Amino acid sequence: MPELEQLRTARAKLWDDPGAEARVIAALDGALGLWASADSEWRARLLEGQTLYSGAVLELGLVRGIAHWTADRMRELRARELPGDTRVPAVTALWLAGSIPPAMFPAMLLSLLAGSALQVKPPSGDPHSPELFARSIREVDAGVADCIAITHSRDAFRNADALIAHGSDETLSLLRGNFPDCRPFVGHGHKLSIAAVGRDADLEAAASAVALDAALWDGRGCLSPAWVWIEDPQSTRAERFCDALARAFARLARELPRGELSAAEQAWVRDSRARMAVRERSRIWTSESGGRPDTAWTVALEARTNFALPGMLRTLSVVRVPDAAGVVERCAALAPHLSCIGHCGWGTRTEFLEEAVQKGMGSRLCPSGTMQFPPLDWKHDGHAPLASLRLPDASPARQAELP
Amino acid sequence: MSREDLDRRVLEWIGEGAAAPPDDERFDRLARDLFAYQYAHNLPYRKLCELAGRGPDQVSHWREIPAAPTGAFKEARLATFPPEREVRAFRTSGSTTQRRGLSSLDTLDLYEASSLASFGAFVCPDLERTRFAVLAPDATAAPDSSLSHMFEVAVREFGNTHSHFFVGAQGWDPDALIRDLESTREPVAVVGTAFAFVHLIDRLEERSEVLELPPGSRAMETGGFKGRSRELSRDELHDAISLQLGVGRERIVNQYGMCELASQYYEPTLRTGVPTRAKQAPPWLRTRVVDPETLEELSAGASGMLVHYDLANTGSVLAVQTSDLGRLGPEGLEVLGRLEGAEARGCSIAADALLAGTNPGA
Repeated sequence: MPELEQLRTARAKLWDDPGAEARVIAALDGALGLWASADSEWRARLLEGQTLYSGAVLELGLVRGIAHWTADRMRELRARELPGDTRVPAVTALWLAGSIPPAMFPAMLLSLLAGSALQVKPPSGDPHSPELFARSIREVDAGVADCIAITHSRDAFRNADALIAHGSDETLSLLRGNFPDCRPFVGHGHKLSIAAVGRDADLEAAASAVALDAALWDGRGCLSPAWVWIEDPQSTRAERFCDALARAFARLARELPRGELSAAEQAWVRDSRARMAVRERSRIWTSESGGRPDTAWTVALEARTNFALPGMLRTLSVVRVPDAAGVVERCAALAPHLSCIGHCGWGTRTEFLEEAVQKGMGSRLCPSGTMQFPPLDWKHDGHAPLASLRLPDASPARQAELP
Repeated sequence: MSREDLDRRVLEWIGEGAAAPPDDERFDRLARDLFAYQYAHNLPYRKLCELAGRGPDQVSHWREIPAAPTGAFKEARLATFPPEREVRAFRTSGSTTQRRGLSSLDTLDLYEASSLASFGAFVCPDLERTRFAVLAPDATAAPDSSLSHMFEVAVREFGNTHSHFFVGAQGWDPDALIRDLESTREPVAVVGTAFAFVHLIDRLEERSEVLELPPGSRAMETGGFKGRSRELSRDELHDAISLQLGVGRERIVNQYGMCELASQYYEPTLRTGVPTRAKQAPPWLRTRVVDPETLEELSAGASGMLVHYDLANTGSVLAVQTSDLGRLGPEGLEVLGRLEGAEARGCSIAADALLAGTNPGA
């Protein structure tokens, strides 16, 4: 295990210095600055290496995504979650999934901030982003970057001291089954999110915000709204909201064009659109080019109140709910799968959504239009970002097992 | 044009046999008449046509008829007749966590006539009756399976009294089939799902047995594996069937069909004596290979998404867009796989898996 030993050595060298925390925060903050700068060559490199997303989506998603991950926030987070001599694993393995860079960067950043060295297995769908982020840290501080190893081995995680895994339930189950019980394991399964639009919403503004949430990362992420639930006791607002949502999607198709879809994704869009269209009394809005429907975006207004097909790839179903209780009822049904609730137009009534999240219906509540920009201290799937890596207080017997 | 007229014209063509020569003009005329009827009487399908911006007045050739994606069959009853006239409903296969597509029929005449014509031409071209060993449930055990219905009708038409269905509603016992096959002295047609063949092969391997079926025997398999057995390529499967059952490769055929279609494609191996992956259809079933993004038809030999036009689908939708990939060559249709895994590049949850059990208002 030379790689693991190198990571342990680099980590010990870094964190044996009393100034390590400040040094690590400065390195991470500096690296993020490289990505956020006006003409960032790192964003340009990322763009060069992939075709999944348009340049405009990458630019906006990244710049706004990392804007509030500041040095101050990192310091506050460490102080709050890892006070004093809290012990953390020497080497954390990070098994990444998906294709969204700002979802991978914080996963790497947080483990380093916690004080672990990192062994990163990039996702097969995007092998380059973690490597680029690691290289940007190296440009700022090679000593901190020495605490990162990128590996494509599917077995390397077995000997790490902790494992943070992203992926499907099957993947998580497989990884958990192959990782010692006595070491920390944090799993992030596939999830989805929803947008809840209340009766006080300005429909144009709400539609623009929801469309942005759905358009960023082309609706592939777990923070992308899969449905819009609109409070519409009179059954009149939902249709106007869909009109506005269609206009917003059409505008974003120009400003934030969708990336390339695989043939399977194209087929999925067409199939889903047909499924939405034939549902009884549903109404559908679709993008067009040359006078014929294309697959850029789809809005469906559901007549039924039960769950329609979850949206993805800029297809979105809008479902009427009679009131706030209708939203909670649906959140409860989705609870194990729910990540984020985006909201607008509930005025002073958002308390019911806060209560829903407190009861485990999702792990994040935010205004619509900001769903893709989670804060650094987001308890992703209920896991505290740094404290989830805390090791138990060391007793002599326990200490012998731990690095 | 009434439904009875349309049914009669299609049945007349089917009556001429699956090996009848293609007739472009006849297909086009009948397809457009059928489209006009379905557009007028099948409201969910009409919504799809309106979405595509094409009705009968905009269609001047059958290739322009809008197709219903198979997903639409999961959400609505795509039929030209009211529910009370339904005599049979077939559903797509799938697990309990998946929504299943529905094919509603007000008559079995066209389905049976079309299926039998092709089955006879491609599986039994050289015999009138034979012994069947069916690796699928019969229609009583699986009333919503179009495949079970097809096998039952085929056994009724082409089978002798020794024919038997070996799969029940609760599963099957490969050892019972092996005993039956070991004891037969007459040619047998072993027909069934691909995954059941894999179970049979695996069981024979476990028993370290190799069968030698009587001359004239044959095998027909269909469908995918759907996580119900280990997966093999078609060539691997046919090699294994040949080895374990003692049936020559030139007597093994694959059928390609789907619940939403009344007609099927078959490898013509038993007609030509030459194993091939290219499948042939009766003249009332045609296929376009299209670009998944633009739905534009691709040139011959290019691979793309398959859209089928089945004139025997008079009561539902004649044009069905699949998620299957394939290409059309001079020898016929090659099916190359499926367009699946749209969720794979993101981290959102798979749609159908999620929908099961999450409908508080349903």
